[in-house]
Amino acid sequence: MSHVTTRYFCKGVLGAAAAAALSLPAMAQDPVDGGTLNIIINPEPPILMLGINQQGPTQAVAGKIYQSLLTYSKELEPQPSIATDWEMSEDGLTYTFTLEEGVTWHDGEPFTAADVVFSYDDFLPETHPRWRNVHNRLASIEAPDDHTVVFTMEEPFPAFLMSFSVDNAPLIPKHIYEGTDYLDNEANQTPIGTGPFKFEEWNRGSYIHLVRNDDYWKDGLPHLDEIYFHVIPDAASRAAAVETGQVHMSRAEDIEFFDVPRLAGMPNLEMTTEGWEMYGPLGWLEFNTRVEPIDDVRFRKAVMHALDRDFIVENIFFGLGNPATGPINSATLFQDPDALVEYDYNLDRANELLDEMGLEPGDDGVRVSLRLLPLPYGETWDRLAEYTRQQLSEIGVDAEIEAADAGTWAERVADWDYDMTFNYLYQFGDPAIGVSRSYISDNIRRTLFTNTMGYENERVDELFNLAAGEVDPEKRQEYYSEVQQILTDELPVAWLIELGFPTIYDTRVHNAVTTAIGTNETYDDVWIEE
Amino acid sequence: MIEFWTRFARNKGAVFGLVVLVGVIALAAFAHMLFPQSPWRMTGAPFQPPGAQPGHWLGTDTLGRDIAAGIAHGARVSILVGLVSTAVAVGIGVIAGAVAGYFGGLIDTAVMRFTEFFQTIPSVVLAIVLVAILQPSIESIIIAIAIVSWPPVARLVRGEFLTLRTREFVEAARVIGQSDTRIILTQILPNSLSPVIVTASLMVATAILLESAIAFLGLGDRNMMSWGYMIGAARTVIREAWWMSFFPGFAIFITVLAINLVGEGLNDALNPRLARQGRQ
Amino acid sequence: MATLEFVARRLVWAVFVILGIIIVNFILLRLAPGDPAAIMAGQAGATDEQYIAQLRAQFGLDRPLHVQLYTYIFDVARLDLGFSARQQVPVADLIFQRMPATLLLTGVAFLFSLGVGILLGALASRRAGGWADSFITVLALAAYATPIYWLGLMLILLFSVWLGWLPAYGMATIGGGAGGLAYSLDVARHLLMPALTLGLFYMAVYARLTRASMLEVQDQDFVKTAKAKGLPDWRITRAHVLRNAVLPVISYAGFQAGHLVGGAVLVETVFGWPGIGRLAFDALLQRDYNLLLGVFLFTAIMVIVFNIITDIVYTLVDPRIEVGR
Repeated sequence: MSHVTTRYFCKGVLGAAAAAALSLPAMAQDPVDGGTLNIIINPEPPILMLGINQQGPTQAVAGKIYQSLLTYSKELEPQPSIATDWEMSEDGLTYTFTLEEGVTWHDGEPFTAADVVFSYDDFLPETHPRWRNVHNRLASIEAPDDHTVVFTMEEPFPAFLMSFSVDNAPLIPKHIYEGTDYLDNEANQTPIGTGPFKFEEWNRGSYIHLVRNDDYWKDGLPHLDEIYFHVIPDAASRAAAVETGQVHMSRAEDIEFFDVPRLAGMPNLEMTTEGWEMYGPLGWLEFNTRVEPIDDVRFRKAVMHALDRDFIVENIFFGLGNPATGPINSATLFQDPDALVEYDYNLDRANELLDEMGLEPGDDGVRVSLRLLPLPYGETWDRLAEYTRQQLSEIGVDAEIEAADAGTWAERVADWDYDMTFNYLYQFGDPAIGVSRSYISDNIRRTLFTNTMGYENERVDELFNLAAGEVDPEKRQEYYSEVQQILTDELPVAWLIELGFPTIYDTRVHNAVTTAIGTNETYDDVWIEE
Repeated sequence: MIEFWTRFARNKGAVFGLVVLVGVIALAAFAHMLFPQSPWRMTGAPFQPPGAQPGHWLGTDTLGRDIAAGIAHGARVSILVGLVSTAVAVGIGVIAGAVAGYFGGLIDTAVMRFTEFFQTIPSVVLAIVLVAILQPSIESIIIAIAIVSWPPVARLVRGEFLTLRTREFVEAARVIGQSDTRIILTQILPNSLSPVIVTASLMVATAILLESAIAFLGLGDRNMMSWGYMIGAARTVIREAWWMSFFPGFAIFITVLAINLVGEGLNDALNPRLARQGRQ
Repeated sequence: MATLEFVARRLVWAVFVILGIIIVNFILLRLAPGDPAAIMAGQAGATDEQYIAQLRAQFGLDRPLHVQLYTYIFDVARLDLGFSARQQVPVADLIFQRMPATLLLTGVAFLFSLGVGILLGALASRRAGGWADSFITVLALAAYATPIYWLGLMLILLFSVWLGWLPAYGMATIGGGAGGLAYSLDVARHLLMPALTLGLFYMAVYARLTRASMLEVQDQDFVKTAKAKGLPDWRITRAHVLRNAVLPVISYAGFQAGHLVGGAVLVETVFGWPGIGRLAFDALLQRDYNLLLGVFLFTAIMVIVFNIITDIVYTLVDPRIEVGR
């Protein structure tokens, strides 16, 4: 090691930079205490009370203030956070969590199991839609003593253990919120958690300032003295800020995808798409399967053959992410590549399928005209819509793009008022939480992020149902493999890309992404080189 | 007619403008022959600078679409929006101005207050809001531009009517019992047309600029290639690819310039007594 | 006395315009598609009816339209512009936070365009067909034809990307820290290109106006008299022509100044300038009704204030103007 390093150092400045970049992961460096971490936050969160608002930016900031029982490794293994131990009973109905001792809230009040019960049984069911889904499966939450919490389920639901990341299950101080109007509590403006950083100041439109929690329950942590989240609304300014080192880190979609390769290639910056395993974002072209001729599976297969997913990843998403192959992201549990029906990029095959349907082109070469609703989340998705429109025109399908702002898009998709649109959903680790909701017929609802496609298959319903309640992992895998085979054959949607969201950070920053929730992590172990 | 042309041709800028404008119109008309492929089609490698790939002499965009094809097809949208929205705006403006100027009194006050009210709201902002509310499409863009453009026409026509309505030939028409509508349409309007034509020609230029701004902000019709869209889409990669935003912008510049020059020529030819003062 | 009455009448008119704008915008925006509650819910990653209904009740979106309008007008009268649904802060706060940036940008652009415009126009009028005359003719033609946002981009390309002289985005260097002279210089460097971009068009307009106006005044009797008295040329220009010729230009400029805020939407978008224009565009895309209404109201008030100030200044400076118009 030292030999290699020496040789690189001889090459001068450029060599030194390269050597630093190459050898850092291997060099066991001692963490340095102190320093200020500057992170971009965009868009500015509306509020930092994580129990009330769970938008991405809120999670990233509030994840340093609030904590939950567990966190997760990149392989989605549960890891201790506030809980030191946890245990599932054999029948899969009871979960017992042992809590860390000596934890205090930022205002000095002691943290106990009563706070956990209050958070999960009172506060979150009222304010947090995702937790509400979890809560509906619970028979009771009890605290036998100050450091033990017991959850009892109505029915076995092994995915329960995946529900305790900080964005899904933040712990809320009972002594502040009990008996108040949660949404209207003034304390929402000055969040109090148990995390390594305390809320200090929020200068709207400019920055959010967090400072070190000196009474943090992990000895000697956090390393950092303070964190600034800088609000930079303009994409180009964000790129410039990262490039010039004015901030240490960007996350999620802070940097427009087209700019990522350039920044990633800079010697002072590091880029990773890890840290999103818990969310497993999967992007697709969503069909309204009630609409002719989309209701014919051959049409959907033709569309799948007409879209070159490699081109999409390489040229539209600038290489960030991977081509999607089926309903379960490869980062999510229980994905089975062998069970999937594959579709190559093949315009001839696509045309054949449409011919087979009897969908003949008219004099203008158009077989059918359909509406395409782009996802209003920025340029990349605009380009994807333009690309899709063009590719569909190659197989005689005229897709008219109906641009809409975010509100209109949400309303129209929820109202099933579309033919085709784009969408991407988080999977939250387990198919029972984030995958089945899009395909089971129970969830055909006039609400965003449900089975708005109107896809129905009894066997699919049955398999998802069985898998959700199955305690034995092997059996669950069998169910999920079969469901993946059926879904890739019937194509309720055309899966396009496993999105890769870049975290770009200064090479001097350590431990920026260590778990499946990436930059939403507490950052108690993050440190910066001098 | 000959006199008109002589006066027009005396303004060399106007002749130059006319030549350019004819060129742009020809480009729009023959876009499908010059560039038979759809301008949305990815015909080359992405990010190719001008001339780097044969057949893409203005380069390609982020997805490998030909910039030159985009400019040719984009000319259609610009000209279409420019002409139609101006026609609508002139229609509204002429009616409002004629009514106000001819009848005067309370009607005049009401119409002019309404016009003033419209002029108070910054037109770019109003246009953007309208397009967003009506949902972005070629129709909504035309309507929005027409709605923000009519007040100057109304004021102009009102002014003309105020002076013309007391002239002898109008009085004469009134004496022989012609109806108000008939007097407006056959007596006054034809005589106030020259300044309206000049103003309209300049409004086409403004409309093209406004359309491009709307498209630049991402509120354009997504199914139609337009110059503003091309700049808006290329804005973020300006560091890496100057040509993607430069050429469409230059196309707007040269087209609007040409229309303005032609407008000045029209002014010289139609309003010889005003020509000396230049445009205000 | 006449002046007072005139001012009073303008103020009454202003109140009516503001009321009209509130009502028109309110109706337009409330009837627009897109439900702010649905957007917020969408951004939260998961949605259900209960959550959306909760949000809707939270922001008063479940009440009948006329009640919402009535409430809004009443609130506006107390300078309460409501609550931004998206950002969860009072709209007035957001606007006042962004106002300095926009005022700085538009103010500098306005002064620049007026100052340089009048100067160029005056130069041009001294010798028709001279270099200054040709220059402003060409400049005006170019400025009329250049899309303002494209001009901004090309300036960025030239001065930021290629030459590296000026910062391309924002109002100040991030983390630039302390105030003082260094900070002012930093802001000035950021301001240069946006202000130039925004001001160039109006500069050309004012230059041409000044030129035309001066040519007109030069033909008037009192100037001819002054010439006959043998006063030197420059003194005639300064003392008689300029003063009389510039007034209508300033009046027109005052009328246009409010519209600079509209142009600022584009310029602020291109340069990432953190002002009202940018706020309006973001609010629009996020369907943040209250915020958008607030911004509109604010722009309209700015226009009216500018107009009134100009009218008053005009009447005070030039007693010959008949204020009753």
